[in-house]
Amino acid sequence: MKKFGIIALSFILLFSLAACSSSGKETSGGKDDKITLRVAWWGGQPRHDYTMKVIEMYEKAHPNIEIEAEFANFDDYWKKLAPMAAANQLPDIIQMDTAYLSQYGEKGQLEDLTKYTEDGTIDVSSIDENTISGGKIGDNLYGFNLGSNVLSVITNDDMLTDSGVELNDEAWTWDQFVQMATDVQKSTDKYGTNGMNPADVFFPYYLRTQGERFYNEAGNGLAYKDDQLFVDYFNMQLDLVDAKAFPTPDVQAQVKGLEDDFIVKGNAAMTWNWSNQYLGFAQLTDSPLSLNLPPEQADNTALFLKPSMYFSVPKSSEHKEEAAKFIDFFVNDVEANKLIKGDRGVPVSSKVMEAIKPELTEEETKIFEYVEMASQNASKADPPDPLGSAEVMKALKDVSEQILFKKITPDAGAKTFRTKAEEILARNK
Amino acid sequence: MKKRLASENLAGYAFISPFIIGFMAFTIIPMAVSLYLSFTSYDLFSTPVWVGLDNFKEMFTGDEKFWQSLKVTFTYVFAGVPLRLIFALIVAMLLNKASRAVGLYRTLFYLPSIIGGSVAVAIMWRNIFGNEGTLNALLFFFGIDKKILWYQDPTKALWTLIFLAIWQFGSSMLIFLAGLKNIPPSYHEAANVDGANRFQVFFKITLPLLSPIIFFNLVMQTISAFMTFTPAYIITKGEGGPLDGTLLYSLYIFQKAFNFFQMGYASAMAWVLLVIVGILTLILFKTSKFWVHYESKED
Repeated sequence: MKKFGIIALSFILLFSLAACSSSGKETSGGKDDKITLRVAWWGGQPRHDYTMKVIEMYEKAHPNIEIEAEFANFDDYWKKLAPMAAANQLPDIIQMDTAYLSQYGEKGQLEDLTKYTEDGTIDVSSIDENTISGGKIGDNLYGFNLGSNVLSVITNDDMLTDSGVELNDEAWTWDQFVQMATDVQKSTDKYGTNGMNPADVFFPYYLRTQGERFYNEAGNGLAYKDDQLFVDYFNMQLDLVDAKAFPTPDVQAQVKGLEDDFIVKGNAAMTWNWSNQYLGFAQLTDSPLSLNLPPEQADNTALFLKPSMYFSVPKSSEHKEEAAKFIDFFVNDVEANKLIKGDRGVPVSSKVMEAIKPELTEEETKIFEYVEMASQNASKADPPDPLGSAEVMKALKDVSEQILFKKITPDAGAKTFRTKAEEILARNK
Repeated sequence: MKKRLASENLAGYAFISPFIIGFMAFTIIPMAVSLYLSFTSYDLFSTPVWVGLDNFKEMFTGDEKFWQSLKVTFTYVFAGVPLRLIFALIVAMLLNKASRAVGLYRTLFYLPSIIGGSVAVAIMWRNIFGNEGTLNALLFFFGIDKKILWYQDPTKALWTLIFLAIWQFGSSMLIFLAGLKNIPPSYHEAANVDGANRFQVFFKITLPLLSPIIFFNLVMQTISAFMTFTPAYIITKGEGGPLDGTLLYSLYIFQKAFNFFQMGYASAMAWVLLVIVGILTLILFKTSKFWVHYESKED
């Protein structure tokens, strides 16, 4: 009897182990028709707040859909996504960026959304073809453009006037920018500008103002041939660092989120960001801010309309049709966009744009008008970054740090970066 | 009789089967897969492509960050572990004297090491050493107007990590305390009768008798120090900066695997680490016979 008891007990223990294992995850083979969609995005707290409201709106309109949200800040987001992709457990709708679209798209992780635009699941009747094509690699529509963005220099106008600086954003030059930042520093003892971070956004812009590009067409090397461009750009930053008008990388690294950013805390007069980020800054900063065109944009039509971000549907999703419907809602529904209001870029649907314009506050209208104005002076955007771009970005960041910490000269940095970038891009082709 | 033994064996297997299953699933099989992956190029999305020894060749000849991360990790281990053990031993000796509050002190000293590995502590630590952080605020409070910029200099930044490791000396301290209590007081009394001073007692009696424990702590702490990840990741926000000064080996593995989509290379790095730690442990064991005295052997 005792033996039987022991054996029985041990098997009970063994099988109770199996019962503990399958807890949380709810697979859709449930009793009712409820479908659970997982949506993931990056952003700051304001973005998370309104996106949750949009989700609630969608859930109310579609009672059979339940949405689980996952979000993080930009840096952490990609580090969370990669392991999920490896485990084939990507959320049903993921926010995507031009920097990673190739990596995920060309490696077969993302679904081609063309069929959903063609069969009407995603209504594209009021969306310009050029805007949609920003999410295409070859003929595959890997990401649906959520909004248009333009580079901008956001300024704290009080700080500028107090320092006696007058900014003419239609015609200012890089040299004038340096002078202004230095003047602000001399008069207020604060930074003139933020750290023009990340380098992989603003160095390519600098190249555009000089008529050059960053990645070449084939995506297997750098486009600009003359390293002097690199040297000039980083010499400019070094001059600003020496004038104490520009934060060193360690200070820039300590900015943990929008709330800590220099301009928000009154520690810088200018910040280099995308136009859609203006809203978050304006909401968090006490002083009035304004959107300005970045320097030297006119001569080479350096400005471009960038797809601010996309929504993509992973190939591994079990609810692609429902995911596409959510994207359609996000992009076309007027009530939803009254909550989104251009935080993810100026809406791609002209119908939505017209409908929400009257509802916008003064700050939000500024963004729309800015993008409209910039699009008059814009040229074609660069295609999505080629494979290996994540490593190239890191290489540029490393070289940029070494230069700004004065460990190497910009000349040496230019050569090092070129070697590294070409090796990475060649390896990934 | 045989039947009874057989059924008891069965019960035994049944009891250990959860552990065996777990061990296989979460340790053995992943290790085998990792070994396989180390000979491949795997970008997490496509199927792995066999590349033979290319990962290892690239690591040793073409990758300066590999050497940098080794240098950082070795500095971290060879500075952090001895300092931590020395601290632990000193505090253990202080707490060895009976006093009313000794239980409280032991708890207080032990506390950092149990909460230490957590994300929350790492975040707090980063804030303490930040430019606008607590440490600089304290300096200001004491009238020192100069801020120490811990994260501007690679060496200083690494030392914040080493300090964090040393701060968590509590677990080693408790083990030392147990070891100290195990030394029969008769040895000390005999030594005092013979006129030995405190240093002689310490170096000739306490330390040799404690050497097995020191050895144990040394091996365990060294192995675990090589695998440190969470503090490095949180405090440097995954960058290993500034200028790769805090790029611990495990952090570099993570970057290679998840930031740059080179899981094959990262797996190869992991196995290289295993070999390195294995060799070091072997060295520790082989040299232990020169300084570790076990009770059973009489000198």
